Amino acid sequence: MAEVERTFRVFRYKQGQAAPSYQTFKVKAGPRTTVLEALQEIRRTQDRTLILRHSCHHASCGTCGMRVNGQEVLSCVTNVQELGAETVLVEPINNIPLVADLVVDMGGFYERYVDAHMPYIRQSEFEPDADLPEGIAQYTRYENCLECGLCVSACPVMGSTSDYLGPAALAAAWRVVAEPRGQDAGRAAEAALEWVDNENGCWRCHVAYECTEVCPSDVDPGGSIMALRRKLTGRKFRRLLRLER
Amino acid sequence: MQNASATRNDVRPRRPLRAWFDVRRRHMGSWAFAINRLTGLGLAAYLFLHLAVLSTLLQGEAGWDRFLQLARSPFFLLLDVVLIFGILFHGLNGIRVALVGMGVGARQHRALFWVLMAIGFVLLAYSAWKVFTI
Amino acid sequence: MQNTITGQAARERQERSRAGGLWLIQAVSGLLLVALLGLHMVAHHFVVEGGLRDFQQVLDYVSNPVIFFLEVVFLVVVTAHAMLGLRAIVRDLNLSPAAARAADWILALVGAAALIYGVWLAAAIQQL
Repeated sequence: MAEVERTFRVFRYKQGQAAPSYQTFKVKAGPRTTVLEALQEIRRTQDRTLILRHSCHHASCGTCGMRVNGQEVLSCVTNVQELGAETVLVEPINNIPLVADLVVDMGGFYERYVDAHMPYIRQSEFEPDADLPEGIAQYTRYENCLECGLCVSACPVMGSTSDYLGPAALAAAWRVVAEPRGQDAGRAAEAALEWVDNENGCWRCHVAYECTEVCPSDVDPGGSIMALRRKLTGRKFRRLLRLER
Repeated sequence: MQNASATRNDVRPRRPLRAWFDVRRRHMGSWAFAINRLTGLGLAAYLFLHLAVLSTLLQGEAGWDRFLQLARSPFFLLLDVVLIFGILFHGLNGIRVALVGMGVGARQHRALFWVLMAIGFVLLAYSAWKVFTI
Repeated sequence: MQNTITGQAARERQERSRAGGLWLIQAVSGLLLVALLGLHMVAHHFVVEGGLRDFQQVLDYVSNPVIFFLEVVFLVVVTAHAMLGLRAIVRDLNLSPAAARAADWILALVGAAALIYGVWLAAAIQQL
């Protein structure tokens, strides 16, 4: 495959503007050019004011999540030519407050992991006695979830209300329940279960499974939400039958 | 920070109807959710319509016969098929949502959906034939 | 910050037992409806010549106490399921808490009215 020219239609917004707009750029894309690389090329050669988030370029940091032609993807592993479209529409992920252009404010998204009783770093399943490194909060959580926010963007319930805890946080809560680790693990699991058992928790999900479809890391948030509900349903029925208090 | 977040949100307000029904680039589960919601709204409206129609029984035999005549017109029979589609989709997809939502068969939810839809298709075809030939 | 968390926690605790419970009622009533509505469709339409009962057939059918009981159970379950379903849709409209509470009341009243009317209608038909 040779180099081809593609039209990039990019979502633009800066703080203080009344409304977002779309700007068009022409970009040459080689057979292995990714959407992220094309956007960086636009920044280098056409418009220095285009801002975007990225880090690793190999689908492990989760910072370059965006919507490409309406689909939530990690732009670093999305090949431009393989999209098979002349025009590539690039927009920030949905349902998370917009900062500017393709960048959203992930602060509230990350905080929900703490509410889910998922610590920044968890005791290793292989070496439970290992010493924790200094400055622990700087380390990312050692779990499959990249914390990219694609599931939150794709979820139809998140698109309805910000009250919903959302697929990422609920999946984290299920990790805490399913595999308790470290000191106070039992209490954390119980607290996580209690945290999700409300109208804006796991019961809010409408089983569209869009989170699982777009997850780039096989976390299966939809399956996690159903697992939480199975656990809580069993408990509710046992309480109803007075088998458990 | 709180205020800044609030202004940021306002640029892209949440649009619930679009979130439910704009299924472009979405997958099976979102389609099922959107159709489930539409058929649910339709069936809820039909419940009240049905109760209203049954009150014609109180007008005696003449009132009921007028309704029967209307209900047997080809247009109404077509509407019956639409109604049966709504009932079958909502009911069969609902079996999946209820079971999977209680954690039963969550891993097999896709297969469950297609098996139920296959059953639904057969029942719909049989019902449509029955509606026009009974 | 601390206060909002505590306030939210209290509100969540209040709603907790209800939330999962309401969803389970919705799910279980839905599963019941598969059977009840299936029965309703077959009995009222599919086994009847012409697809609809004539006036006398309706009266005969409803005069059977078992049928009457099943029809009332069907009405209760279908109304509960419909109102809970509408509530879930209204909740997803991102209304203010006050508007959402008002909608809950309206739906509860509409549901109760439908039930009372339905049972009264069935009883009145029996008297014809």
